[in-house]
Amino acid sequence: MKIDIREKIQREEASNIGFSVAMISWGMLFASLFLAYALYRFKETAWPPMGFEKVSLVWPTTSTIIIFLSSCTYYLYQKSYFMKQVKSTKFFYSVTVLFASLFLVSQKMLWATLHDSGLYTSSGIFASILHGFTWVHAGHVGIGILAILFVIPSVKTQNIGNEKFRIRMANVGKFWHFLGIVWFLMYLTMFVL
Amino acid sequence: MTYAHGKHAEPKTFLSKYIFSFDHKVIAKQFLWYGIFFLLIGGLMALMIRWTLAYPGEAFPVIGNWLFPETGGVIPPDTYSMLFTLHGTIMIFYAITPILIGAFGNYCIPLMIGARDMAFPTLNMLSFHLAALSGLILLSSLFFPLGGAAGGWTSYPTLSTLVGSPGIGQTLWCMAIFVLGASSTMGAVNYITTIISFRAPGMGYFDMPLTVWGLWLTAILNAIFIPVLGAGVMLLIFDRVFGTTFFLAGAAATSGTGDPILFQHVFWIFGHPEVYILILPAWGIVSDFLSFFARKPAFGAKATALAMTTISVLSTLVYGHHMFTTQMSPLLTQSFMTLTMTISIPSAILFANWLGTIYKGSIRFTSPMLFSLGVVFVFGLGGLTGLYLGTVSTDLYLHDTYFVVGHFHYTMAASVLLGGFAAIYFWFPKMFGRMMNETMAKVHFWGTMIGLNGVFFGMMVVGHAGMHRRLYNPFVYEFLQKLIPINTFITYSAFVMGFAQLPFLWNFFHSLVKGKVAESNPWEVGTLEWTLPSPPVNYNFEEIPVVQCGPHEFGNPNLPEGKDFQYQTEKLVEA
Repeated sequence: MKIDIREKIQREEASNIGFSVAMISWGMLFASLFLAYALYRFKETAWPPMGFEKVSLVWPTTSTIIIFLSSCTYYLYQKSYFMKQVKSTKFFYSVTVLFASLFLVSQKMLWATLHDSGLYTSSGIFASILHGFTWVHAGHVGIGILAILFVIPSVKTQNIGNEKFRIRMANVGKFWHFLGIVWFLMYLTMFVL
Repeated sequence: MTYAHGKHAEPKTFLSKYIFSFDHKVIAKQFLWYGIFFLLIGGLMALMIRWTLAYPGEAFPVIGNWLFPETGGVIPPDTYSMLFTLHGTIMIFYAITPILIGAFGNYCIPLMIGARDMAFPTLNMLSFHLAALSGLILLSSLFFPLGGAAGGWTSYPTLSTLVGSPGIGQTLWCMAIFVLGASSTMGAVNYITTIISFRAPGMGYFDMPLTVWGLWLTAILNAIFIPVLGAGVMLLIFDRVFGTTFFLAGAAATSGTGDPILFQHVFWIFGHPEVYILILPAWGIVSDFLSFFARKPAFGAKATALAMTTISVLSTLVYGHHMFTTQMSPLLTQSFMTLTMTISIPSAILFANWLGTIYKGSIRFTSPMLFSLGVVFVFGLGGLTGLYLGTVSTDLYLHDTYFVVGHFHYTMAASVLLGGFAAIYFWFPKMFGRMMNETMAKVHFWGTMIGLNGVFFGMMVVGHAGMHRRLYNPFVYEFLQKLIPINTFITYSAFVMGFAQLPFLWNFFHSLVKGKVAESNPWEVGTLEWTLPSPPVNYNFEEIPVVQCGPHEFGNPNLPEGKDFQYQTEKLVEA
């Protein structure tokens, strides 16, 4: 069956709307976690609660830098793709995958640091929040990496510049940038402030 | 093979036709079977609960000895808690939601807006399979040591933490709800997108049938609020499995403790919109059916759509009225109370429009119309009794009594169930190409109406008399012993309601095979699905229709003799 122009436009519009709705849903999931965090935090007279110390910023900051760089490289990958620059498309795509994986490694290091500081999951609400929320985010990053791998056909030399990957690439990009923003908010509220 | 705009090749094999189908009509039927299956399980659980309340300590008839051999057929207290937990969970999430939203959302949206399928057919298929997986997880919990979840359908901590619910049942409950939430969110993404992007040319938002409006608003609420519950149950899973302390309070209070009340906030931020998630499709369906069978244009159709929208918006702001007894500040209780009361305004508009629609109509008392009128009646009762629970002073007395149970059964169970039955009787000919038996449908209607009013009104009476919900045997308290006769009456009514479903089941299955072959438009209405043969072909529309008028064009005096409606594809007849 032929796909006419009207349907093609509809399809693109649908993809944008559908993905935006999905992002709102994901946004609500994380907003609920932030709401919980706010309630716990404002209920306490001191934060971290008595008996706990602030977490070292080394690994959270490293994670922030890595995920920021991965967002930049994803953007450059998209840009190179549409400029049909084969080498830089492949390069920026590979670097994005690398940074995305490094982010998970940095999270693993963060959890190890928490354990070293005596902050286990059962050590009260402070530790629960640090572990629980970073797990949820890391889980989504895992999904994000799978999504980035989902656009791997776009870096085949003969596919570079092809319009048919545009929506898929854009949606994966939106999701990845969204995860970056969520992490940045987590970094600010849970580790810095 | 999937094409753009959700077009898909005609399936040839059994698997591609019935199990892994991309066709929204097949997925709708999958949800319908799924919903009916769980409706029967949830219904049986309800009868067991009612039996225990009418005859505490007596064996449940017929299957009691088989199910509970250790106690000689008597339902034990822990099983009783499991029964009311799973009854609520199953009826809300696994019966009503799949039937009204899963089945009729899937079936009606593309057909009524003139689309060939949903925007994302693969996502649609996945949505059903996730729902099936969720159902399996929930049912499997019954077969683990200590059985299924028993912390109530709201699963408040600490009842739902390891302290209150040891064993794996509650964890599986959380997982099942999380998976089902993912399924519902996928459905919501599809419904919202399809309605925005794939309406037929000429169909503005106010040219959509009100059924579609109801389903659309439901999908929006679903997309926004289901993730909130998802976050809550996820943290509960962390508490139960990984030892976090999000909802554990107590000894750790000096070093930063969790908060069980937080779960209530999260639950009701989702939970109150959930009431409207369930009822909005039924409202839309009823708004359409009253017009279809009164043979009159829907009175104030735009106002009805806007009233539903307003109610949807307000529903997101009132959740606190479920938590008046949690030591909320008086300023907050009054704010939530006032906001709750404002819902009465659009609700009154909705009701006035329904009455305006049937006023002086040429009413055809078909089964879908009877069930629709039933919805008007029971939702009126449910809505009015909600005012007492939305008011702080009366809620403090009525909280956690059977009055609450009666109220929410009138709104969430009776109204939605009757709306679901109306939809089944109405669209059955289109779905299966055969008519259901009208006489049996009317027997079903009256049996159900008499039974459900006996049950739910009775519940409000005993609740007002002070009987608390979730007690295994309330009659150990002397002041409640005088309520045994009315509880017995409620139980008899429940059995009447239960037995009234037998004609429905017979009618449904018999009509599938031997029902009269349906014409393309047996009800003589003009919405787009009735322009198609019954059942519609693959892809629905050979040519995408062009919409020229609204969905409720009835009784136009300029229509030719013998015809009192026109199709949405026809130009409005003028003098």
